[in-house]
Amino acid sequence: MACLASHRSGESSNQRVLPTWWPSKRGPRVLSEKAAEPAVETQLAASHISKYFGGNKVLDDVSLNVRKGEVVSIIGPSGAGKSTFLRCINFLEVPYEGSVSLDTLTISVVNGKLRNSGKELAALRRKVGMVFQSFNLFPHLTAQRNITLPQERVLGRSRREAEQRALNLLRRVGLEAKAHSYPSQCSGGQQQRVAIARALALDPQVMLFDEPTSALDPEVGTEVLAVMRQLAEEGMTMLVVTHEMRFAQNVSDRVLVMVDGRIIEEGSPDIVLMAPQQERTRQFLKAVLRE
Amino acid sequence: MWHIFTIIGPGAANTVLLTSISFAFGAVLAIPVTLATRSSFLLLRGVGRGLVEFVRSIPVLVWLFIVFFGLPQEGLSPSPLVAAIATLSVVSAVYLSEIYRGGIAAIDRGQWEASRALGFGRLDTGSRIVGPQVLRVVLPPVATYGIGLLKDSALASTIGVVELTYRANTETQLTGKGLTVDIIVGIIYLLIGLPLAVISRHVDSRLRAKFSLT
Repeated sequence: MACLASHRSGESSNQRVLPTWWPSKRGPRVLSEKAAEPAVETQLAASHISKYFGGNKVLDDVSLNVRKGEVVSIIGPSGAGKSTFLRCINFLEVPYEGSVSLDTLTISVVNGKLRNSGKELAALRRKVGMVFQSFNLFPHLTAQRNITLPQERVLGRSRREAEQRALNLLRRVGLEAKAHSYPSQCSGGQQQRVAIARALALDPQVMLFDEPTSALDPEVGTEVLAVMRQLAEEGMTMLVVTHEMRFAQNVSDRVLVMVDGRIIEEGSPDIVLMAPQQERTRQFLKAVLRE
Repeated sequence: MWHIFTIIGPGAANTVLLTSISFAFGAVLAIPVTLATRSSFLLLRGVGRGLVEFVRSIPVLVWLFIVFFGLPQEGLSPSPLVAAIATLSVVSAVYLSEIYRGGIAAIDRGQWEASRALGFGRLDTGSRIVGPQVLRVVLPPVATYGIGLLKDSALASTIGVVELTYRANTETQLTGKGLTVDIIVGIIYLLIGLPLAVISRHVDSRLRAKFSLT
């Protein structure tokens, strides 16, 4: 714990501070129609998600509400269902049961069957950006084309507009010079930053990160984490599955601990990481921080 | 010797015509066959796989005979060239579909996941993301199959398509100089096949230099 605390004090000036324009840029607050919902504006709601692999219950009735601009880190031992949960949010994995709401759109699954059309599903995915552990850039396209093609095909933007957007984003992730390089000519960290730019180009309302730095060596991972931190500071709603305890500590508003397909503990990073209530969380943190 | 060359040589026109048209039809027809064998509908998948096994389990020569000598019994009398093109098109569609299927299986599933996560439709995923990558993977085996088809086209001589082998056979029967004639016809096949091999190598190495997969 001591080492974690020192990171914190060393980086406290970098702590996530929302810019002053943040609340106003969110537009007029829509009054919730359902009386039961909390007063804070929920951006993304995943409700009662269950998922089985074979006979194994990998997600056991998991629910999560994420506020606009909130950064949520999901930590926990491997095999706990963290990635599966994230992948259920944009239905890369179809859960057995549960629903996901974003904006006015709700996609639900009952008994493993989607209750919505493919069109509605595509609409949800369009609003949710995803960054993978293995980057998954399209190897036959240049960095720039990786970013422009989805804009043109999915949002119907013109080539010019898409290229303008791509260049802006590449500049933002510090990779202007790599615009015409193929993924195989980029380092892992560069590829992941291009992948982030590709997802951002579609103007997502929520960004999902599935262990974005796990395939990178620590030094290169830092470049990626810096981009993510910047994104968080700009007010992006983010859901991050991570093993980077420093990121969870310094950048996120909330940390969830997942074990055996359930969220066993959640709260502000200070409480969850510094003074966890659950014995299982303490055990996990002890193992992780010993490294 | 040059004399024999000038007599057999013109047969190359039909050999090239038969091979290239059958290959082109086959390469296109193989796409729906591949999609059928990968379909999530059991029935479609069954039909696709059944077709593949059925066609490739029977010798090409037998298929040629069925189409050329068999169809007239049902009132259809294709010319030798048409019968040969039809047969070789279907046969190559089946073999090429297996090559395509292998190529699709070689693509990382993360490519599909990224496409879905970005909101691409199935058509765009196939034509813009997975298709071009499959093309690169299958180029060498497809070129190999094309050269194989060039040689298989010699079978069409048995149903009377006047191509290289047919002309060589007649010339042998007329002159009795089987060795000379067959060496010459072999050289002609080589001269047609070699450029194909060289071109495909060239294209493959250029694509490889441009991007590597995963």
